[in-house]
Amino acid sequence: MEFGKSGFLNEDGIHVDMDRLKNGEVNLGTSIMAITFKDGVILGADSRTTTGAYIANRVTDKLTRVHDTIWCCRSGSAADTQAVADIVQYQLGLFSMQSGKPPTTQTAASIFQEICYANKDRLSAGLIIAGWDERHGGQVYSIPLGGSLHKQPYAIGGSGSTYIYGFCDANWREGMEEADAVGFVKEALKEAIKWDGSSGGVIRMVVLTAKGADRHLYLPDTDYTVRHN
Amino acid sequence: MTSIGTGYDLANSIYSPDGRNFQVEYAVKAVENGGTSIGIRCKDGVVLAVEKVIASKLLKPNANKRIATVDRHLGIVYSGMIPDGRHLVDRARDEARNHRDTFKSPIPTRDLANRMGGYMQAYTLYQSVRPFGVTAILGGFDSDLEQPVDGEVGSGPSCGGGGKVEGQKHGGPWLAMIEPSGTYWGYYGAATGKGRQAAKAELEKLNLAAGEITIKEAVKEAARIIYIAHDDNKDKDFELEMSWISGSDGPTKGKHVEVPSDLLAEAEGLARKAIEKDLEGDDEEEKDKMEE
Amino acid sequence: MNHLPQAWGRPRDDVYGAYDASYLQTSGPKQATQQPIVTGTSVIAMKFNEGVVIAADNLASYGALARFTDVKRLRVFLDSSVVGFSGDVSDMQYLDRHLNELAIDEAYDLETAATKDTSKPSGKLNAANLHKYLQKVLYKRRSDFDPLWNQILVAGFDAASKPFLASVDLRGTAFTSPSLATGFGAALAQPIMRNYAATEEDAARLTREEAVNVVKDCMKVLFYRDARSLDKYSIAVVTKDGVELKENEQLERQSWAFAERIKGYGTQTV
Repeated sequence: MEFGKSGFLNEDGIHVDMDRLKNGEVNLGTSIMAITFKDGVILGADSRTTTGAYIANRVTDKLTRVHDTIWCCRSGSAADTQAVADIVQYQLGLFSMQSGKPPTTQTAASIFQEICYANKDRLSAGLIIAGWDERHGGQVYSIPLGGSLHKQPYAIGGSGSTYIYGFCDANWREGMEEADAVGFVKEALKEAIKWDGSSGGVIRMVVLTAKGADRHLYLPDTDYTVRHN
Repeated sequence: MTSIGTGYDLANSIYSPDGRNFQVEYAVKAVENGGTSIGIRCKDGVVLAVEKVIASKLLKPNANKRIATVDRHLGIVYSGMIPDGRHLVDRARDEARNHRDTFKSPIPTRDLANRMGGYMQAYTLYQSVRPFGVTAILGGFDSDLEQPVDGEVGSGPSCGGGGKVEGQKHGGPWLAMIEPSGTYWGYYGAATGKGRQAAKAELEKLNLAAGEITIKEAVKEAARIIYIAHDDNKDKDFELEMSWISGSDGPTKGKHVEVPSDLLAEAEGLARKAIEKDLEGDDEEEKDKMEE
Repeated sequence: MNHLPQAWGRPRDDVYGAYDASYLQTSGPKQATQQPIVTGTSVIAMKFNEGVVIAADNLASYGALARFTDVKRLRVFLDSSVVGFSGDVSDMQYLDRHLNELAIDEAYDLETAATKDTSKPSGKLNAANLHKYLQKVLYKRRSDFDPLWNQILVAGFDAASKPFLASVDLRGTAFTSPSLATGFGAALAQPIMRNYAATEEDAARLTREEAVNVVKDCMKVLFYRDARSLDKYSIAVVTKDGVELKENEQLERQSWAFAERIKGYGTQTV
């Protein structure tokens, strides 16, 4: 039996074309955001995962917990961002056990950034880190492709975000009440889903405050009006 | 020490039958011969001071520093074998640097004490090493303000992060003393070296736990205590070295720096006066006794 | 069947052929690294009689997208030098942390807070030392085919306490001049600054106020003509007394009203 170095998926089932796997990678062509508000932070995301034009998953959860009240929004390669989030979750768990205190959002953002920066040639990951801690309250950090770290009042990301820069800039207010803040995130994501082909499905949110994490879910068949869960 | 090692003191990794590690106890002996070091934790900062016995008149005055900066907000002073102390400082700097590299923020003083305690403890475990011949006093001021991540760009909302828990104190001064065994405790006042007994007695009188004394007063107290702890009869001359760390609103702006020369001179002047007064007081007491 | 435990669970050579280990090769040509992603545009600076003034806007672009509008690209080193970064922001943050650690190393020599004699050169790293150091770092990285994607201006004083200004880029190329600018600024701002400080002698005659005004004018021209610029900027003045850094300046006295007289593109008059 001959095996070429091109490594096409042969009948032996072993030799795999790595380049092709990379090209066909599952992508989170996405709409994600996180905002600060009066009592903490809110993360929001759509639920569409695509491989090319095919929707590989229509109910994806792109909001990932790395500690009790520190979460992240993932965009880019699903595999890369999951791997990075898993590493950070492990590191923060270790940190809180060793130091006997919960990590701050800054600590989480620092670890995320180090990984994204050191592996910038290998990763396609656009992350938003949002968290609440006793000392700093709600904080939002954005880590775009190159691995830089940006503190922001609110952050938007993913392919859908380009359609809502105007909406967010015009409607954003500091220190909103929770209901208003949830409304802001929902309206922004509705616009992103409407205009971006790579975004769609349900809207998921996580509200992080002193009280802990609270999940929201809104469905397209009720025009995102009813809160499920 | 009452008992001798009877063979159980030849190596680290051997306990004596009554559960002692003689090597560690001998290391403590080495510390007890060193110049006195003290640390004072007060409400707005930490003061470190050391009595440097002048071994030779050929040494350049004020040139051979004994207090070391570990990170901007951290200082270490030690008594005992000086090269051991230097190595310990190197290690402390590595630990502080590692913390910055990983977490992009300064290491909390308490966490550094923990790391250093662990490091020294490791030198009580193995045949091939001897325990550190120093006791180190670690002082630091962990920022009480919200600190940006190292290298941070951008800013959050101008109203600040929402949902902060009000009325909580974060950061502040911290002082710890680490012994050759690796034991460490947090202290309000710490003393080690030859004059530690006298120094500790004086530190206790200050009632530091009440948190009333300021860092400027503490500098003067520290000078006085070192002068008291110094044994005139037995020792040669000594030099006083002092450093301090205040919060960002204090005199050192959150940094560990040397006490400025004018304040040091003033503190030393007061210390000398206090000593003389003490001596006179002693004489009077004795006179009183004679009259009884 | 192969009964050796090492072979258990593995594809059989007689069926699948020996494993082609070429897929596991770690050697081979190394890819030239990366490209800047989040970027800052020009930094400009010029010397004057008793110091240096340096400025950069507060924008970090993501391609053509004006993504982050509050990125401060002037960084103070040891209260005596200013480093201005253009190019990749993640590499800027890396270098900023690196310089922060360098500054801590400097503090290992326990400094006295009170003895701050500015008349004579101190033992600590000055701007000239810092610039040389950065050059070595950037050259090392380009030699590893892993460049730090920045062009950097360093402003401060040299060992002789003379105003110092120099540039270093991602290849480790370094040079100095009475006025300097990176990126678009090299084309748009540098000619303007040269009108005032073509030589060291010219620069030595400029007052602080004159220099600051020239630099502010240049920032305005850059905002007019650089499509990756912003009207919010940072400006720092380095003198022997230290660094005065303002990070939230707004461009003033812009000229747009003449647009009223522009009608059509040639013959049209209404």
